[in-house]
Amino acid sequence: MVILVLALAIPAVTGIGLIIAGHGSRSFTEGAANLVSLGSSVATAALVVAAVITRPVVDQSWLPSLGVRLQFEVDGISAPLLLLTAALSVAVVVHARSHPSHGGSPTTFYGCLQLVELGALATFLSRDAVIFFLSFEIVLIPMWVLISRFGDSHDLAARKDASGRFVLYTVLGSTLMLVGILALVQAAGTANLDDLATLHGAGMDRSTQIVIAALLLVGLGIKIPMFPLHTWLPPAHTIAPTAGSVLLAAVLLKMGTYGVVRLVVAPLPVGFGALAPAFGVLGVIGILWGGLACLVENDLKRLIAYSSVAHMGFVVLGLSSGTTVGLQAALFANVAHGVVSALLFFLVGGLKERWGSADLATARAALREVSPRLGFALVVGFAASLGLPGLVGFWGEFLAMYAAWSPAPDRPEGLMRVLVVVAVTGTAVAAGYSLRVLRLIWSGDRTTPAHEDARGGEWSVLAFLATAVLVLGIAPGLVLNSTIKDVAAITLEVSR
Amino acid sequence: MSQALVTVNATMLLPVLAPAVGAAVVLVVDVAAQHLRRTHYLLALASLAIGAVATFAGLGRAAGDARQTLCLPDGGQCMYAADAVTSALHLAALLAALVTLLLSWPDDKRQSSGSTAVIVSLVLSATAGATAAAGARDLGSWLVALELATLPTVALVALRGARSAISGAVALLTTSLVSFGLLALAAALWFTATGSGFLTSAAAQLVVDDPARRPILVLAVVLVVAGIGFKLSLVPFHAWTPEAYDGAPLPIAAFLTSVSKIAALAALLVVIRAIAPLGAAPLTAIAIVAAVSMTLGNIMALRQDGVVRLLAWSTVAQAGWVVLPLAAVSAAAVRASGTYLLAYVVATILAFAVVAALVQTRGAARARDLSEYRGLLHDHPVLASALALALLSLAGLPPGVLGLVAKVAALRPVVASELWWLAVVAAVNAVLGVAVYVRWLRVVIASPDAGQQQARQGALVNAGHASPDAGPDGARQSALVNSGGLASEAGPDRDPPVGARPNKVGSEGTRAVRAHPATLVAVGLAAVTLVLTSLSPELLVGLLGR
Repeated sequence: MVILVLALAIPAVTGIGLIIAGHGSRSFTEGAANLVSLGSSVATAALVVAAVITRPVVDQSWLPSLGVRLQFEVDGISAPLLLLTAALSVAVVVHARSHPSHGGSPTTFYGCLQLVELGALATFLSRDAVIFFLSFEIVLIPMWVLISRFGDSHDLAARKDASGRFVLYTVLGSTLMLVGILALVQAAGTANLDDLATLHGAGMDRSTQIVIAALLLVGLGIKIPMFPLHTWLPPAHTIAPTAGSVLLAAVLLKMGTYGVVRLVVAPLPVGFGALAPAFGVLGVIGILWGGLACLVENDLKRLIAYSSVAHMGFVVLGLSSGTTVGLQAALFANVAHGVVSALLFFLVGGLKERWGSADLATARAALREVSPRLGFALVVGFAASLGLPGLVGFWGEFLAMYAAWSPAPDRPEGLMRVLVVVAVTGTAVAAGYSLRVLRLIWSGDRTTPAHEDARGGEWSVLAFLATAVLVLGIAPGLVLNSTIKDVAAITLEVSR
Repeated sequence: MSQALVTVNATMLLPVLAPAVGAAVVLVVDVAAQHLRRTHYLLALASLAIGAVATFAGLGRAAGDARQTLCLPDGGQCMYAADAVTSALHLAALLAALVTLLLSWPDDKRQSSGSTAVIVSLVLSATAGATAAAGARDLGSWLVALELATLPTVALVALRGARSAISGAVALLTTSLVSFGLLALAAALWFTATGSGFLTSAAAQLVVDDPARRPILVLAVVLVVAGIGFKLSLVPFHAWTPEAYDGAPLPIAAFLTSVSKIAALAALLVVIRAIAPLGAAPLTAIAIVAAVSMTLGNIMALRQDGVVRLLAWSTVAQAGWVVLPLAAVSAAAVRASGTYLLAYVVATILAFAVVAALVQTRGAARARDLSEYRGLLHDHPVLASALALALLSLAGLPPGVLGLVAKVAALRPVVASELWWLAVVAAVNAVLGVAVYVRWLRVVIASPDAGQQQARQGALVNAGHASPDAGPDGARQSALVNSGGLASEAGPDRDPPVGARPNKVGSEGTRAVRAHPATLVAVGLAAVTLVLTSLSPELLVGLLGR
């Protein structure tokens, strides 16, 4: 219990403390702020690892009038995401050592990073549906500050637009989700996510389930993001500072898919079953749309943002299949995308700083020639992104398509197979855009204008993530074995 | 005639009696000893505090457990009842009035002593009206209390004497008269339908099965919603709001947005609780009014450039949220509505208190202009943080957890009665609301000199393009420039943006004006309340009972 309380209290106290300290005294330097948040992130990560191993439980009354309890717990589904969040929170702080923030006081920057970590951890840990929603909202304002204060300041109007769009879309999504959650809690009679999963929609008629599932899917679909609700993502990623992009792609998007598993797939099997084909179709449209956009996009950050849309499309496809394999695939692809997108955003953030822009049309020195470390990381990242077997990107997408080919009995098999065919085309497109990027910036023999290679903190972060891409690609069981038990508990009922 | 006409429990009536007696005492003292100013305020604070303490006995009780007094003999009906919701509204009204008085604390130069006594006693009488309206259970005292809560505010708005204040007061007065007419008609219809002068569910129950009298009662309730709609600033009865808020002195605007709203909602809840047996018909009207108020209020608030007008329009939107749960009939809906109102009052009073403090430090013109808030976080970190917390709570985003919990509470009854369209309208309006407050917040947290920064940034970027090798270096440069005020101290050779801001207080050799300590106490009180209730919303939600 102490472990979980501390794991949440440390980022909360550090975050708020840093923000206040930054305005209190001017002597709080960038280095000191970095050191404090590094300590906080490392301590939190250690606590999260301990929590994943010991599986403690917190159950504390908080708002008895509304029946809201502070219930926090780790299970197989949330464990990989918790570890991902904790690891990346350390990584962004380490990376920021060599790439300081600009746009405002450094304490605010680090404070916001801590608060985003707090919100993400609380989301993955919470077992109460209303607390889940509250945690979901915690990340909003810090992330908005990161984008609107510390984002790319070349074009202030674009920055204003991107940050505003981010916050408004997300609030719409989460408020719709709140309406869905309240309806779900009302209909099921409990706000506990485990109880909701065990009930499997017992006592709710089909139409109620469909209405609630639709509200939740639209709300969470904005966060995932799912086509056509994705339009906030590319500008937000393009403008956000590197740390913001990484956390946005690798952590915040995961909250959406995680929410679908917890709030829709498990508690509303009938309602989700009815909507799954449409959900899958939108996912596959996202795969194609994102891929095609990547083929012509010239801003490297925006390109990776669109590729996120495509990758999340595979997650959606896996979820919609309704089988254990599909759900496993979705959760694995979720983690895989977290690792790969974090790697790519760290990389591209660094490149943008070196180049002064992220425009692909400008002729650059070939990474292979002038900065082999960056080049290596880029090759690993895009190879994983195109789903090369043996790397982390492969398993999630392959299994998602496999699952959709033989979906749960209540899914329309013909449609799902068509979707798989389209998704396969999507992987071809992914190969196309990945190789396009590699051709444009990695290969070639130009050596001017030269820039320095990754060193120190940046290189260690890139190396760590590249290693994760390889390790999880070779041994996907590390994640799959963690989730299988809890996933099977959900889908055994679904596929009945 | 040995038996008393009604039973009287003075302790129970203290939330009403204390401010009423206080108002009288202030006037008497003013006659007895002139040229007093602070004494009036101290007397008023004391009477409000006594009233507030007296509400404690009623807080947090179970639903349906009401303390009654002024009962007719032989176990007859009672003209005054206070359950947990009533007591919570009492407490909120008394504390809000207290904060208002702190905000209007007399400055040595500003007011003559005569007007001080008048202002204080008007505030106290309006507060007494508000608490009385919450407790009243018979038509007569309900109507009188509601007017007692309204009419003094007209005088309070007008007292400033400026042209805008007069026009605001006229708007308020006209509205009050129309509203009174509607409510009087509603009271007459209620009496016609039920044959009872009491606003109780027992009275409404008699009518439910009578097809002839039921429509009369429904009409009465619709008129009540309309009449109260004026006071709550619900669309289409909202038009006076921006006018009156903008014309009134700032503390009085704070009073209008807190105590007056509490009075109005409390009076509405008296009727809503009574008509619970009646069913859904009149409540559809509330649903529509709520939806339209939120939407119009938010859209108009998005277009305002003055902060008081922005807050006025946001009141219209928030009033929609306040009555939103009442579209569903249940005890939970009444509590949810009360919860939302209290959360709104805490946050909005904090916002007004910060604006009032800024009026004192920067002058009225600057404090009322949205664009003048640029860089407030840099210039006044504490006030700006308090304002940011208030705005986020109004928007319903963490760290303003209280506002978020209030939205959860307000949506619950709507979802429970499966009013999906209304829930979706509310969700969309949550987004519009966020847009409204984030628009203000964006200005507050912006760097003080973003305009110049943009120009400088452009120059730097061009320099960066010319020599890409200097990448990290250039980045550090722009970091220096971005950090605004710090830059000028760190590197005197770089053109200091701070010095280029001619009209910032303190940077130009003008004397740094500090806000009045009483105003800062008001800001502190409201801020502490908001922080505590955000950490543990049960502190506030629990007041309204379970």
